[in-house]
Amino acid sequence: MTPQTVFRRLQETGQAGLGFALILLCALWLTLAGSAAYANSHVRAPDNAVNSFDDPDADGPPNTQGSESRSAFWSALKQGDIATTSSSTADGKAMQTLGEQWRLFRTQYILKYSGWVLVGVVGLLMLYYLVRGPMKIKAGRSGKTIHRFSTVHRVAHWFIASVFLFLGLSGFIIMLGRPVLTPIIGREANAILTSAALQGHNLFGPLFIFGLIWMFVKFVRGNFFQMVDFKWIFKLGGLLGGHVSSKKFNFGEKAWFWLLMIVGSVMSITGLIMLFPWLFEDLRFLQASVILHGLGAVTLLAVAFGHIYIGSVGMEGSLDSMLKGEVDENWAREHHDLWYEEVTGKPASEPATKGETP
Amino acid sequence: MSQSKAEIAVEKFLEFTDGEVASFFESCVHCGLCAGACPFYVSTQDPKYTPTYKLLPMVKAYKREKAPLSKIRKMFGLAPDPVTEEELLEWEPLVYDSCTMCGRCTTVCPMGIDIAGTIRKMREGYAAAGLVPEGLQRSAEFVEKTSSPMGVTLKALEAQIRHQEKETGIPIEIDKKGADYMAILSSMEIMGYPEIIGAYAKLFKKAGLTWTISSEAYEATNVGVQIGSGPLAKSIVKRVVDAAEALEVKYVISPECGHAYGAIRWAGPNLIGRQFKFDVIHIIELLDKLRREGRIPAGKKDGRKMTLHDPCQLVRRGGLLKEPRRLMDDSCSDFIEMESSGIANICCGGGGGVSANPRAEELKLAAFGQKAKQLTGIDDLEVVIVPCANCRTVFEDGLDEYELNYEVLGLGELVAATLEE
Amino acid sequence: MSFLEFVEGPLFYFSGTVFVLAGLWRIIGLIRLGRRKDISEPKGSAAAGFIRGNFRHFFPRRVFTKWMWMHILGGYAFHIGLLVVLLFAAPHVAFLSDRILAGFSWPALPRWGFIIAAEFAFAGLIVLWVRRFSNPVMRLISDWDDHIGSWLTFIVMLTGMFALQESHDILRAIHMLMVDIWLLYFPFSRLMHAFTFFLSRGHTGATYGRKGMIP
Ligand code: HEM
Ligand code: HEM
Ligand code: HEM
Ligand code: SF4
Ligand code: SF4
Repeated sequence: MTPQTVFRRLQETGQAGLGFALILLCALWLTLAGSAAYANSHVRAPDNAVNSFDDPDADGPPNTQGSESRSAFWSALKQGDIATTSSSTADGKAMQTLGEQWRLFRTQYILKYSGWVLVGVVGLLMLYYLVRGPMKIKAGRSGKTIHRFSTVHRVAHWFIASVFLFLGLSGFIIMLGRPVLTPIIGREANAILTSAALQGHNLFGPLFIFGLIWMFVKFVRGNFFQMVDFKWIFKLGGLLGGHVSSKKFNFGEKAWFWLLMIVGSVMSITGLIMLFPWLFEDLRFLQASVILHGLGAVTLLAVAFGHIYIGSVGMEGSLDSMLKGEVDENWAREHHDLWYEEVTGKPASEPATKGETP
Repeated sequence: MSQSKAEIAVEKFLEFTDGEVASFFESCVHCGLCAGACPFYVSTQDPKYTPTYKLLPMVKAYKREKAPLSKIRKMFGLAPDPVTEEELLEWEPLVYDSCTMCGRCTTVCPMGIDIAGTIRKMREGYAAAGLVPEGLQRSAEFVEKTSSPMGVTLKALEAQIRHQEKETGIPIEIDKKGADYMAILSSMEIMGYPEIIGAYAKLFKKAGLTWTISSEAYEATNVGVQIGSGPLAKSIVKRVVDAAEALEVKYVISPECGHAYGAIRWAGPNLIGRQFKFDVIHIIELLDKLRREGRIPAGKKDGRKMTLHDPCQLVRRGGLLKEPRRLMDDSCSDFIEMESSGIANICCGGGGGVSANPRAEELKLAAFGQKAKQLTGIDDLEVVIVPCANCRTVFEDGLDEYELNYEVLGLGELVAATLEE
Repeated sequence: MSFLEFVEGPLFYFSGTVFVLAGLWRIIGLIRLGRRKDISEPKGSAAAGFIRGNFRHFFPRRVFTKWMWMHILGGYAFHIGLLVVLLFAAPHVAFLSDRILAGFSWPALPRWGFIIAAEFAFAGLIVLWVRRFSNPVMRLISDWDDHIGSWLTFIVMLTGMFALQESHDILRAIHMLMVDIWLLYFPFSRLMHAFTFFLSRGHTGATYGRKGMIP
């Protein structure tokens, strides 16, 4: 019997299970052989779980980071440890006092309150949901849709949304790991978690910058301030009831857009400064960056929670625009009446009912 | 005996899933790019018209029954469910009404998957199980009775030939044994555009070649290929082969009709299981060859602004890309290509049996919208050259629907009209 | 044996073997299904078509790039980025040469090159995956295999990224564990497209090549 006929037999007689077993067997055999060879040839140094930051090459795994590794440099910096870094700058002495103020601000305010701000925002949103419930489409769904966002719009949105959320999560692990997590999971585990989060955060940072630019290019049209926005502001966006008019984006959305653009840019610049600290001789840039980056993160995340709430469970029909690109006519009529009139040419005062031709 | 329709269809699906089709099913990464190439999806924006989705029942049958390692998947309960008749029925409009087997999707597919060829094979399963749209079924019955899907009788053909003889003053001999060329025609040409017969007479006289039309097999349209019935397709090809070999011709001329060409040129020998004793040559190929040999020199060019529609089965799936263009260049002075012309051209929307299927009328016209867009993209266009009789009828309906005023002409007619006197 | 040693040693050899054998089984099975013989008179070469078809589909046609650009850029960023990381990142080169190629090695990318390639890979994969759930066509045609394949690959990349400091054995072990799971999943899934693409492009190329066309 040639191997070919063996193969066909196995396949055609429905005995492929046997073939599977064969694969498993071979795999097992090679596994044993392989591991035996490995055990003989490769005795790994029982290096400590954590390398010493001072000398990353001491006796850990081979240095695969190349010659230009600066991770130790700014990891230390992130721990609030200025002494090592300031020694490399010219006027180290002047830094010390400012450094202390900076350290105090960071620990006394940012680290202390940022977590609570976010917890507070989530609490408020939950409360609002429980009291007012989701915002329904008053006239019900019409079943007919109008085009709102193209695929490129949607992908740009979800790109920055996913990168942003990842950055937020990893950022907060880095920021609050020591005060919040260490008491719970211990120093060792926190060090590992922080290392992972830090690496992830660093790698995703540039993606956020890319996403931000993309988002700006795709969404800036329709997000400029318009006269109707005054009325919207006076009525507090209808939060307390009453009708508010708006074009493609209402003032709330515009505010979110510009907040993201401006604070996002600040985050990007300060992030870059922290990633490449040797760009600036003056350590004050670095100190300011750490503070601004933290404040910006809290601000953006807090508002993003609100945005996510309205974009998903808070308002019936709004998620359609980001999943399908099409929104229900009645949703558009109620939330973006002027845009609706512009696109369909129909008055927004009449509900679009099922079966009506546009 | 008591095989259910679903079982019959699945059996055929599996029979037609060779390594080629299997590699398509294994490779499709569900990237969705093909949707953007398909005139049916683009004009309706309905996701169910995504090309790869049209194949789903066949893919399921393959993944369940035939794929390498499928037994292991089954062991873990990971194989798809069996295909049901309801599912096949649900897919029937996708398989027949919304695919012209034009092959445009293949030109964007990163995996190079031949959806059109696979739909053709999928239809074998449907045809065997008797799940064919009524309109196509009716043409098939016509063919079995009269040999022509439109019921064109020999008498009708003879009347048209007599008329063309009178028009051109050139005699046309039927059943002439030993002629070099035997022409077959599509019903659409015989009934709708009989001038082409006169054009043949004029051109071939000039070139000095001998030709004839068979009274046994004059019909080129192959409904079997359209519904996906191998046996029917075979009997239609066989009729032509028998007649041509009886008349001892050297060539059979395939007419300006896309599917007819594919059916006899590329599928034909495989259907009857042997090579022909003659060569199949497409009329455009022949005219181009005669032109290159200087046997039908070009005369005064037509000065109107013209463009050329590339019938899918002649160009992308047939291999005749340069020939029609060379003829165009000789025949008109203001020839302009439409956007995405050539190998990536957009289908008229009525090939592959779609135009013979009354149920698909609306879809066909919607799909023609894409064609209309290409045409209106050319300023001051006057004439569209459409070297396929089936496309031509679709064009006439479609131009009407979209209220466009272009003259539609066959390429053979244009060449005949601009022949050196 | 520590957890790291387990996932780097026995488990890796096990999943690697399953990967190779089951993958081969599937590809050979596909090839062995054969191809219908075509006896029509060819106008071009099927064999040349097989090769040309394979190359042709790397390059999208100009007329389509108007609406395909995002997908093309995303797809290429992801695939090229991943390939570069896979084969030229210093830790990967070290691993491959140690465990599989018995010391045979090649020059690795410097750190910055590795990071840039990883950025592209992530950006591309995120684009591809968010497109998969935010587009009606993609929602209709995607199945669990698509999502699991994307996520597993993403998690392998993510855990690799977590281990970038190369200071904690457990992070390295988690990356390695995900690689092992990925290798086990690969041959039974659509990830096999990485190898089957040459067959599907080739078959179509051959069919069309006989007709003198390359679609
Ligand atoms: C993950 C949950 C999220 C959901 C469900 C969500 C949902 C939405 C929806 C439905 C819209 C369209 C609203 C409309 O039709 O006008 C939208 C717009 C937008 N989203 Fe999100 N989003 C999420 C996360 C994010 C995040 C994290 C960011 C920021 C990084 C973000 C930034 C934006 C921006 C800038 C707009 C456009 C608003 C404008 O141009 O005025 N989204 N989002
Ligand atoms: C180690 C090798 C590979 C891995 C891990 C891999 C992984 C993936 C994944 C996870 C996706 C899905 C992305 C999505 O959600 O849309 C994908 C898509 C795709 N892959 Fe690969 N792939 C590999 C190799 C290849 C190769 C060699 C080719 C082609 C020559 C290829 C061509 C494609 C194409 C065309 C798509 C779909 C289009 C797209 O989504 O960009 N892949 N691949
Ligand atoms: C963007 C994606 C990736 C990044 C950033 C990345 C990063 C890394 C890093 C930093 C290490 C060294 C860990 C250490 O020494 O502590 C590593 C090791 C490794 N990676 Fe990746 N990786 C990625 C994707 C992949 C993929 C897709 C595979 C396999 C299919 C893979 C397979 C491996 C293997 C086998 C090792 C060796 C682990 C060991 O020595 O124990 N990686 N990777
Ligand atoms: S062959 Fe043509 S009609 Fe059929 S699915 Fe592909 S693009 Fe659409
Ligand atoms: S373009 Fe090709 S690979 Fe992509 S979904 Fe369509 S058939 Fe599948």
